[in-house]
Amino acid sequence: MGTPERPAGQRGTGESPEAADAKLVAAILRRDRKATAEFVGRYADVVYAYIHSRLTPRADLVEDLVQDVFLAAWKGLAGFQGVSSLEAWLLGIARHKVEDHYRSRLSAPDPLDEVDPDSRHVTLDSTLDALIDTARLNEKAARTLAALPEAYRVALLWRYWEKVPAREMAERSGKTEKAVERLLYRAREQFRLKWAGMA
Amino acid sequence: MSDFFYSENFMEQLSARVELRGAVKASSRLKSRVYSALMRAEAASGALASLSKCRDAGRALCVWEKLVEIAPVGERAKSLNFCGVCHARVLGERFESPPIYWSGCPYVDFGKA
Repeated sequence: MGTPERPAGQRGTGESPEAADAKLVAAILRRDRKATAEFVGRYADVVYAYIHSRLTPRADLVEDLVQDVFLAAWKGLAGFQGVSSLEAWLLGIARHKVEDHYRSRLSAPDPLDEVDPDSRHVTLDSTLDALIDTARLNEKAARTLAALPEAYRVALLWRYWEKVPAREMAERSGKTEKAVERLLYRAREQFRLKWAGMA
Repeated sequence: MSDFFYSENFMEQLSARVELRGAVKASSRLKSRVYSALMRAEAASGALASLSKCRDAGRALCVWEKLVEIAPVGERAKSLNFCGVCHARVLGERFESPPIYWSGCPYVDFGKA
């Protein structure tokens, strides 16, 4: 028996990431179980980090969604063209799964409370500039989002971090645009209150 | 400027500056769970590549797979999903540092990463 070839998809010296991706995909499609393990080992962290950031603090949902992403990716792997990297392709699937989650959350009846009119005097004047430290800013934003009711959090993440216009959110969630705008307004107000109240 | 536009503007600025993706890593338990789910799906859709083919492609086999691979059985038997009945899978899916140490086992490798 000759020297075994380099395991498919394993990045070696001189091998481009695109070539490594193509080899790994080909090996998985040949139903090589070890290639499937490499696929999970190589990309689970990046998929998990993305979904974790978009669903926090719903840790109970994150793991199920990560698994769904990999299962969907495996089913669609034959269609992977290599136009983008395997990581970008997987994150695209993850983005769709997250949006499916957002859609299902926003499609539910709106049980949220009205904003307390007395709270409207709370302003965020210059708070962004005051938080020069990026790590602090990230941490505070994550904490503030985590403290919001889920529908508010989902609405803000979908609109501002995923950059989906309110009209599109309305179409996908089956709500009217006005209802989504109203939800976003209340979500921003709640965010502002929690933000102002946090150290 | 009204409250509405003020807070809209704030959220736009904030989301442009805040990268929510943290440095969190998937647990080895989750990787094990995902791998097991993929293997179940693959095995349900047909035979896997045989262990001999995996070895010929330069892949490391675990101690149990090596035993099956040298056993006098046909390629079909070597194409089964042995991880599905292995205690390493059960431990890997339940413990962050499972007490399994042999090489060539994906569940061990997930714990090392």
